[in-house]
Amino acid sequence: MTTTRIDAPLKVTGRARYGSDHNLPGMLYGHVMTSTIANGEIVAMDVAAAQAAPGVVAVYTPFDPLTLRTPTTPMLGDTWVPLQDRTVTHYGQPVAFVVAETYEQARDASALVEVSYDERPARTSLAGNLELAEDAPPGLDGEPSSSVVLAEGVESIEDALASSPVVVGGRYSTPTQNHAAMEPHSAVAHWDADGLTVYSGNQGAFVQQADLAAALEVDPSAVHTVNPFVGGAFGGKGRTSVPAFLAAAASRALGRPVKAALSREQVFTATANRPETLQEITLGADRDGTLIAVRHDSWCSADTDRSFVEPTSATSRVAYRTPNLAVSQKVVPLHIPRTTFMRAPGEAPGSFALESAMDELAVALDMDPIELRLRNGSLGPAGSDLQWSSKYLDDCYRIGAEHFGWSSRTPTGRREGDWLVGMGTATAMFPALRFPTTTEITLQADDTALVSVGGSDPGTGLLTVMALLGAEALDLGPERITPRLGLSAYPPGGMSGGSTATASVGSAIVAAASAVLEELQSLASAPDAPFAGQDVTYADGRVLGGGRSMTFGELLSALGRDTISAIGSAAPGEEMTKHSFSSFGAQFCEVRVHRWTGDVRVSRMLGVFDAGRIVNDQAARSQLKGGMIWGVSAALHEGLEIEDDGRLANGDLAGYLLPVNADIPEIDVQFVQHPDTLHNPVGARGIGEIGVVGMAAAVANAVYNATGVRVRHTPITIEDLLEGLPS
Amino acid sequence: MQSFELTAPTTVDDALAGAGTFLAGGTTLVDLMKLDVLTPRHVQDINAVPLRGIDTTDGLRLGALERMSDVARHPGVYPMISRALLQSASQQLRNMASMGGNLLQRTRCTYFRDVSMPCNRRVPGSGCPARSGAGRMHAVLGTSEACVATHPSDVAVALVALDAQVSLADAAGTRTVPLLDFYRLPGDTPHVENDLRPGELITEIVVPRLDWAANSTYVKVRDRQSYEFALCSAAVALDVRDARVVDARVAVGGVATVPWRLTAVEEALRGAPVTEEAFQEAAGVAAEGATPLSANGFKVPLLRRTVVRALCELTQDEPSGSRG
Ligand SMILES: Cc1cc2nc3c(=O)[nH]c(=O)nc-3n(C[C@H](O)[C@H](O)[C@H](O)COP(=O)(O)OP(=O)(O)OC[C@H]3O[C@@H](n4cnc5c(N)ncnc54)[C@H](O)[C@@H]3O)c2cc1C
Ligand code: SF4
Repeated sequence: MTTTRIDAPLKVTGRARYGSDHNLPGMLYGHVMTSTIANGEIVAMDVAAAQAAPGVVAVYTPFDPLTLRTPTTPMLGDTWVPLQDRTVTHYGQPVAFVVAETYEQARDASALVEVSYDERPARTSLAGNLELAEDAPPGLDGEPSSSVVLAEGVESIEDALASSPVVVGGRYSTPTQNHAAMEPHSAVAHWDADGLTVYSGNQGAFVQQADLAAALEVDPSAVHTVNPFVGGAFGGKGRTSVPAFLAAAASRALGRPVKAALSREQVFTATANRPETLQEITLGADRDGTLIAVRHDSWCSADTDRSFVEPTSATSRVAYRTPNLAVSQKVVPLHIPRTTFMRAPGEAPGSFALESAMDELAVALDMDPIELRLRNGSLGPAGSDLQWSSKYLDDCYRIGAEHFGWSSRTPTGRREGDWLVGMGTATAMFPALRFPTTTEITLQADDTALVSVGGSDPGTGLLTVMALLGAEALDLGPERITPRLGLSAYPPGGMSGGSTATASVGSAIVAAASAVLEELQSLASAPDAPFAGQDVTYADGRVLGGGRSMTFGELLSALGRDTISAIGSAAPGEEMTKHSFSSFGAQFCEVRVHRWTGDVRVSRMLGVFDAGRIVNDQAARSQLKGGMIWGVSAALHEGLEIEDDGRLANGDLAGYLLPVNADIPEIDVQFVQHPDTLHNPVGARGIGEIGVVGMAAAVANAVYNATGVRVRHTPITIEDLLEGLPS
Repeated sequence: MQSFELTAPTTVDDALAGAGTFLAGGTTLVDLMKLDVLTPRHVQDINAVPLRGIDTTDGLRLGALERMSDVARHPGVYPMISRALLQSASQQLRNMASMGGNLLQRTRCTYFRDVSMPCNRRVPGSGCPARSGAGRMHAVLGTSEACVATHPSDVAVALVALDAQVSLADAAGTRTVPLLDFYRLPGDTPHVENDLRPGELITEIVVPRLDWAANSTYVKVRDRQSYEFALCSAAVALDVRDARVVDARVAVGGVATVPWRLTAVEEALRGAPVTEEAFQEAAGVAAEGATPLSANGFKVPLLRRTVVRALCELTQDEPSGSRG
C-alpha cells in the first residue's frame, strides 16, 4: 500500500508549526553560553556587564542557578541538567543562560559574561587513553557486554583462532558523529494555572513530560508537552534538551513565556554525539569459508558520566554462525561532549568493522563475498536457543545480486577511462523491537475516527502509518482516520526510537480498535438501542444486525452521542520466550575512484530488505534511502574532530561534512515481504535504522575492489587512497 | 554580532567618501560579523553603486559587483573561469556573491573563524594553532612561521592563470594592479592579505585577451562533490598545435596561501608532446618548495596529480565533471 504523507502539504507549504515556531505574548528569549575549556572548575563568573546590557532580564549561572533535579528513566538512565555545578567536563558545556526581551539582546549579552576557570589537562583521545578503559555495563537487553562461547573441547578463543586454517584480522575505527538534524534543539515554555506547557521537538511527548516533571519537581499531570512536528531526531532528541530544561525553569522563575534554541555550533557540544569507536576483529575460517572463530573487542568513547555505550561488539553476536565467539565491550571516559543513541547505535559502526573483516576474509579465501556470507548465516543470536522468527536474507542477496549485476564484478574491479570502478556488498541487520504502547481510538458521529498516541513522527512517516493501520483495524478508508501525535495528553507510547514505532503503535491500534468496536456493538444491542437484543456484527464502518445496517456515525447519532472511545495497550510478551527477532538486508554499491586524485564517488546503490510487512511502501523506501545516504555519509564524509584540548575542530555545518545531492546517486530499494506475525499482530518489523547499517562497509569494500586499498577507518578520504593508486 | 551603522551610497564617489566597510553580497562579511571575527562600526552597502557589466569585446572586463552566477553563465567567459565559478559555493551563494567580494574572501581556517582561539591573521602576534592542530585543509606553498592558511577562492586561481588585473579606486585616484601582485604572502604579517588600501574599492576585473584560453579547464578536488572548498584545484589552459604544447597556463588553489601560479610547470610544458608521461614530468616540479604540516603531507602528491588530471582532461576532451 502506498499513501503520500498526510503531513507533507503542511510541511512543504511551511504551515507545520514546529516547537520554536510558537510565539507567545510577553515571551522572553534565552541564550545559552558554553565553556571554552574541556576540564576544570569555574572559579568565578562576572555577569555584571551582561546584567546591565539592554533588555536583559536574568542571567543564570552555576553560582546563581535555576534549580533542576536530575531525571532518571529505566531506558535512558540519568539525563544531565545544566548549570547545577561548577565542574566543566567538556568543551562547549552550557555554563550560563541569559534571558532578555529579544533574542539578539540575549545573545549579545551572553558575550559579555566573563568566566574564570581553573583549567585541568583534558583527556580527549580514545586511542591515547585505552588504559582508562572500563568494562561496559550490560546492554539494554540485559546481555552482558562481554561473553565467550566455545565449542566443546576448545579451551580458548585464541586456540580456536590458532587452529583455523585461514585467519584475517584488523583494527577498525569510526569517529564521533553528530545527528545534525535540521531543527536545532529548542523550546518554548510557559506556565499558567494548569501548570507548565512546553513546545519542543523530541522523540516522545510523554518522555519529555516525565523528564520535565522530575527536573522541576512537579506532578507529571501539571506538565503538558506539545510536539506535533519534529525537524529530525535520529536518537539525538530522546533525552530532554538543555533549552527545554532552561526555558521551563526560567519561565517559572520569571513568570513569562521563554523561548530558547541552541545555535548550530552548540548542537555539536551541548546535546550529545555518537561515540568514537575502536574495534579489533579476528576471524578464523576453514578453507571452504566456514567460520571457526570470531573475536570482536570494542572500545568506545564516553563522557565522564559514562552516560552511554556504543555496543559495537554486539554485531558479532548476531550476524554469523560460529562455533567459537568472544566479544568484549569497553568504555573510555573522556572530556568530550555527552554521548548518546544515534541511528543504529552499535550496529552502524559495528557492522562497518565486521562487514569489512568479512570482505577481507573473502579476499583471503578468494571467495565471492556473498557466498561467504550465505555460508555462515546465523540461525539466531550466539549462545541463545531462540532462533530468528523469520529470515529471508538469502533471498535478499539473490535478488540484489541479480538486480545489481553482481556477476559482472571481478575481484580487482574494472577501469572506465580515468576511473577505477569497484563493487561492494555488506549485510545489514537490526533487531526487531517494540515498546509498551497505549493508543486511544475515538469513533465520531460524522463517521470518522481519531487515533491518538503521545509518540512522535520526526519525519519517519508514523502519522501516515497510523492512518493506514487505523483504517485497517476499523475497516474504513484511511481518509476517514485522523491520526494524532505529539501531545503528552495522548496515551503514552510510540516513542520514535529503536525502529519500534510501527510495531508498537500498530499493535496497540489493533487492541484499541477491537475494544472500541466491541463497545460499539454492545451499545448497538443494548436495551432501547437501534439493534436492541439482536446479534450484531461490524464491517466496513457499519453495524449489521437483523438484516439492517447503520454506519457507526448514524448509530452514535441515534444514541445521542458524539463519540465513543477506547484505549488499547500492547507490549512485548510471550513471543520473546519463543524466538529472536531481527530485520535483515543485503546492500550493494558501486564506487568510482579517480586514478589521479583518489576522489571517491558512489555511482550506484541498492538495498534489498527483509523487514516483515511494509505498511507504506513509499515512506518505507524513503526511510531506507535516507538510511543508506547516512551510510555513505559515514563512509566518506562525516566525523567530528576533537582536538587535544577538547575543542571541536569542525563543530559546524561548514566543517562537519554531510553529503550533498551531488554525492548521492539514484538509490534502489526493494523489499522481500514476509509479514512477521510471530513478532506482533501487524507483522511489521522496524525499518528506521537498518538502512544505515551495512552501507559504510559496502562502500569501503567497493573502494577496496576498485583500488586494492583496504581502509579500516571512516570516513575514507583522499589521503587514504593516494599512495595506493597507480601513478 | 555588534551593532553597526548602515549606509547605502549610490555612486563610486559617495562610496569612497564614506569611511565604512563595503558590503557587496555579504556572504563573507555578514558571516564573519556573526562570528564576531569582523566588527565594523560602519557598513556601506555598495550594491546600488554602478559597478556592473560583463564586456567580452577584447578579453574580459567584469564589474566588481557582477554576481558569480551571472559571470559563470556568460557565454563569452573563458571555460576555466566559468568552471571555477560553477564549482564554488552553492547556487544560492553564487546568486548573492560578487566577483570583487570573492577576491577578498577570508580564509576558512577554523581558528581564524573562532574568536576564542589565538590566530596571527586575526590578532597579530597571538599565535598560530593550525601548525600543530587541525591543519589538514591548510597550505603547503607560500606559508610562513606565522600563518599557513589557504586562500579559499576558486575563481582567483583561474584569474591569476590568465594574468588578470584588478582596477582599484580611492579618494586619491585609480590604479590597476596585476592580481598576482595584489595578494601578499603571509610572511610576518599574515593580517595584511593584499595590496588594498583602507577605503579602496575594487571597481573592475580585467582579463587580457588570450584566444587559446578557449581551451582551458578547472579541476577541483574536494571532500564532497559540491558545496565544499578545494583540497587542491588546478586551472589550466593549453595552446596545442600538432600534438605539441606551444604555450600553457597553470595555477593551483587549495594548497597555497595565495592563488598560486606554476610558471615552472608552464615552462616545462612548452614544447612537450601531448602525452600523459610528458604531463607527469612537467607536473613533477609543481610542488617545489612545498613545506607540508604533519596533517597535510598528502597535498604534495595531490598537487602534482591534480595538475596531471587537469591536463589530461583538457586534452582528452572529457567533460570536467563539474557540478554546481
Ligand atoms: C558556505 C560557503 C561556501 C563557499 N564556498 C566557496 C567555494 O567553494 N569557492 C569560492 O571561491 N568561494 C566560496 N565561498 C566564498 C564566497 O564565494 C565569497 O563569500 C563571496 O564570493 C564573497 O562575495 P560577496 O559579494 O558576498 O562579498 P562580501 O561578503 O560582501 O564582502 C567580502 C569582503 O570584500 C569586501 N568587498 C566586497 N566588494 C568589494 C569591492 N568592490 N571593493 C572593495 N572591497 C570589497 C568587503 O568589505 C568584505 O571585506 C563560500 C562561501 C560560503 C558562505
Ligand atoms: S593558519 Fe593563519 S589563519 Fe589559521 S590560525 Fe594560523 S595564523 Fe590564523
